[in-house]
Amino acid sequence: MDTTAWLRREGQQLRGPLKHVALLTTLNALVIVAQAWLLADVLTGALFAHVPLSELWQPCLGLLLLAPLRALLSIRARRTAFDASVAVGTHLRRRLLDRAQALGPLGLAAEASGDLITRLVDGVDAVLPYFARYLPQVTAAAIVPLVLAAFIFPADWVSGCVLIVSAPLIPVFMVLVGQSAERASQKRFRQLTRLGAAFMDTLGGLTTLRQLGAAYRIADQLDSEGEDYRRLTMEVLRIAFLSALVLEFFAMVSIAVVAVLIGFRLLWKEMLFQDGLFVLLLAPEFYSPLRALGALRHARMDALAAADHLIALENHEVPHITQKNASLAPPRGAPALTFDDVYFAYADGRTALTGCSFRAASTGITTIVGASGGGKSTILKLVLGFAQPASGSVRIEGADLSELDLAQWHECVAWIPQQPHIFEGTVRDNLLLAAPGAEDSAIRRAVADSGLHYVVARLPQGLETPLGEHGFGLSGGELQRLAVARALLREQATVWLWDEATAHLDKESARAIADVIQIASRTRTILLIAHRLALAQISQWVVVLGGGRVLEEGAPAALAKASGPYQRLLQAEAR
Amino acid sequence: MRETTKTLRQFWALMRPYRARMAGGAALALVAGLSAVGLMAVAGWFIAAMALAGTTGVPINYFSPAAAIRAFAILRTGGRYGERLVTHDATMRSLVRLRTWLLRRLIPLAPAQLSSMRSADLMARLRADIDALEHFYLAVMIPFGVAFIGLGLVFLISLAVLPLSACLIVLGAVVTGIVVPAWTRWRAAEDASQSVYDAAALRGLLLDALRGHAELTVWGGITSHNARIASLDARLAAQRMRLDRVQALGGGMVPLAAQWSVLGLLGLGLAIVHAGGLSPIWLVMLSLLVLATYELITPLPEALAQWQATVTAAQRVFDLADTPPAVLEPADSATLLMPPWVRYHNVRLRYREDGPWALDCVDFALAPGAHVAIVGAPGAGKSSLLGALQKFFPTEEGFVEFGGAPLAMVRGDDLRQHMAVIAQYSTLFNRSLLDNLLLAAPDADAGRIHKAIQLAQLEEFVRALPQGYHTILGEAGGLVSGGEARRIVIAQTLLKDAPVLILDEPTEGLDAQTADDLLVALETAARGRTVILVTHRLAGLARLVDEVIVMEGGRLRDRMPVSVYMERSGQI
Repeated sequence: MDTTAWLRREGQQLRGPLKHVALLTTLNALVIVAQAWLLADVLTGALFAHVPLSELWQPCLGLLLLAPLRALLSIRARRTAFDASVAVGTHLRRRLLDRAQALGPLGLAAEASGDLITRLVDGVDAVLPYFARYLPQVTAAAIVPLVLAAFIFPADWVSGCVLIVSAPLIPVFMVLVGQSAERASQKRFRQLTRLGAAFMDTLGGLTTLRQLGAAYRIADQLDSEGEDYRRLTMEVLRIAFLSALVLEFFAMVSIAVVAVLIGFRLLWKEMLFQDGLFVLLLAPEFYSPLRALGALRHARMDALAAADHLIALENHEVPHITQKNASLAPPRGAPALTFDDVYFAYADGRTALTGCSFRAASTGITTIVGASGGGKSTILKLVLGFAQPASGSVRIEGADLSELDLAQWHECVAWIPQQPHIFEGTVRDNLLLAAPGAEDSAIRRAVADSGLHYVVARLPQGLETPLGEHGFGLSGGELQRLAVARALLREQATVWLWDEATAHLDKESARAIADVIQIASRTRTILLIAHRLALAQISQWVVVLGGGRVLEEGAPAALAKASGPYQRLLQAEAR
Repeated sequence: MRETTKTLRQFWALMRPYRARMAGGAALALVAGLSAVGLMAVAGWFIAAMALAGTTGVPINYFSPAAAIRAFAILRTGGRYGERLVTHDATMRSLVRLRTWLLRRLIPLAPAQLSSMRSADLMARLRADIDALEHFYLAVMIPFGVAFIGLGLVFLISLAVLPLSACLIVLGAVVTGIVVPAWTRWRAAEDASQSVYDAAALRGLLLDALRGHAELTVWGGITSHNARIASLDARLAAQRMRLDRVQALGGGMVPLAAQWSVLGLLGLGLAIVHAGGLSPIWLVMLSLLVLATYELITPLPEALAQWQATVTAAQRVFDLADTPPAVLEPADSATLLMPPWVRYHNVRLRYREDGPWALDCVDFALAPGAHVAIVGAPGAGKSSLLGALQKFFPTEEGFVEFGGAPLAMVRGDDLRQHMAVIAQYSTLFNRSLLDNLLLAAPDADAGRIHKAIQLAQLEEFVRALPQGYHTILGEAGGLVSGGEARRIVIAQTLLKDAPVLILDEPTEGLDAQTADDLLVALETAARGRTVILVTHRLAGLARLVDEVIVMEGGRLRDRMPVSVYMERSGQI
């Protein structure tokens, strides 16, 4: 969609408030006229007709009261527009977040989150001034000069003509100057998002950069990228300010012409002082809304540039997950999971599964092993419904996954992803995310079974210790235990999908967790992905995956004897 | 919370290189501001004089005021344009530098001090908080400077023309330029300061929503997480509305005061004019002069409503910047003897003052070229050994010696230059493959790079990449698989010509076959270097090392040849 059209569409919500603003602005213009008239009246009377001040109290009182009225009207108008636009912004952010989330876990993994945050926070904030300031100012620029002109003409048609002829020139110039600025502004915003992503990326890897001795080098690079950003910004501002300059210049020249014309006609007694002063007081007010519009021009440019990125996010193709009849409840109890000739490729073209078929029995442990890049993690993503097979089917007991209500299905699942995300909050918060409202006893159990209690004992505030992104300096093994505890807290889960459950753990800890898995497997379907074969050896069924298909499957003991890929994996590990 | 004055002093000190530009911008602002006042005053005088000349028939020289009006008009428009360009340029320059200045201050804090901070919060400080600092100069220093100098001049002029009016101007200026801004500052302080924190928190929640989306989906937590975001966003919206209300009210006071001042001036002035004490021309001039003067004051109340937000942002920036690094650095590095000995002398290390010892009297030495594995349960102190050696964490007692010098006498960067590290968390960056490789050795030529790629067994991988070496690897290297990422890191270490190779669980998260393949690359990387390998599972890695050090509870429990260790663990 065209950016301007998009902004206009978003502005639709402001229609009501803007009408209100238009009314207030019109009233304000009338007050301005009244003030100018009264002031001219008082001055003329006092200075030229030598009327004593005591007889001028009526217009003076009027002036005294009109001043607060004017302040009130403009405050009211500003507030109306601002409140409405803040609401638009909140709404917009919400919609874009929904949109980003609609990309799904797979789609989001391919996006730079630093870039997305820049759009959601800074992008939306950049659009706000357009609604809060620019649009109301457009209204004012359309109304105020017309109202004033209606009163200027009867008083002095010559000045009226000067003003009315010069006024339309201003927007024309603004548009001419503005077009090139808009292009520059878009370039600038692109650089801004790039820079944001670069900083985020750098922050995430500072330790690695220090180890490589590259940290200060990167800082230098960011310096020069920041310098580029400054140059682009100045390019935008130079033009934006130029349009303001042109405006100011025109306004100034016109006012000067009006003043000179009035001055000479006063000198030649062709005009009353009161009319002359009245018009001269109104002349700056005539241009004032147009000048303010020029000063806000960059708000429009920023909004247009930011809107481009927001539109791009909005139009980002969302993977359509066709849930045919997605209302089926998942089967009660532990279901068998069946992959039937499943083909799947990622959006970027990487082929992950090519005719993959296997069955994970209800109750008992099924372990998937095989070289990385063989499609192991993809299997879990399909079971979780993050994506759908290009062909073939994933069945939960008898039902096709695409017919199940995904939210209900997820309730049956305890999942450990390959790289667990640590959320902002304490250790307890992070555990409870997986099972809101879990009781203390349940938490204690999960913490003990996962071996997390060793970790918690070391933390300064125990379970209430706030976690950093990589977990308050928790080591890989400690984070792994947190992820396991999180999964264990989902006690109602009948299906465990664990990717690398014992990564980073020493033999003893891994064995303890294997015990937990074994006990759980009596009543649950457990599908593991393992790089270490220790877990494969305790499972009932092993599936060896390679090149997106099943190379071999069977009971671990039997596979160990067959001279197939599993045996080769065993040998590789033993080496 | 640090003091405001200290924060401001710190900010001002950092602005040293930009002060000339800033002063230039301020001077232009003053020219533009004063010209605007002058323009109005002369114009008022001019038409009043013309009108009086018209009624009295006294001839008048209208050339010089007309010329003055032209001059003021040009100065005003030109000055305004120049002012905006110069001030914005100065601000941009200073902010760009300030951002990387903060980044440079963060570098020594990684990983010891930064591991407990969220990247979204760091990002908010680097970005939004630093952006907010422009307010100090653009919205406070310049308008206040111009307003007070302008007011001073207007005061002198009015004192000469009509002393009573000078009092009126001072009164109005004090109210609108000082009392009202002080009120907006006070009234907005809480919301302004809170909004800075809330905006940062919003970024954090959004980051969790996006990066933790998969987990939230499965846990059914999206609705409640989004509700948290919505309520925080609503709170921010309410804060902003309240802030804008204060600003609008404060801003609205200025024109009101201006109009009332003119009325007051007329009340005073007309009586004097009638008494013959003043020419009406001067009264008209004074009226317009007063009106124009208030234009200078207009930005002040709104600016001060933002004051607390700016101060809070500055405090957040400087609090972070002033966090002392965990490890002190000497001014110069001692000369290191290569190939280096690595010695731990009764080292004790812990992460909190009252915490348990992560390393407890660890004492051992590694000869140049030694190949050792360090094994033990999580929390046994393996990672702490590496942290101390890389000078990321300080030792509390004892010391680590490298190349004949205690680490206290070596700068961390000089020290780490001699170490190549493959860590659990080695990150790749959202740059091209080539750029990622060059991070390790900026001056490597194509031949060396190709050789490293070959040894790391990445040739196939590079060939399959759509743009070869110039393929972007994605955020945190997200577009390559775990095994590929690890091999790229190995290629980096091969490029880095360092005598000590540190391997922190190099094959974790990789399947047995891939891990086995990696070994070949690792063996190449290990050739001729000291190797320190931290691992949970020695099985596949045994052929990389000759010796095993067993850690337990922060202590060195045992040290033995790898064959002995394998035999014993086989028996267990």
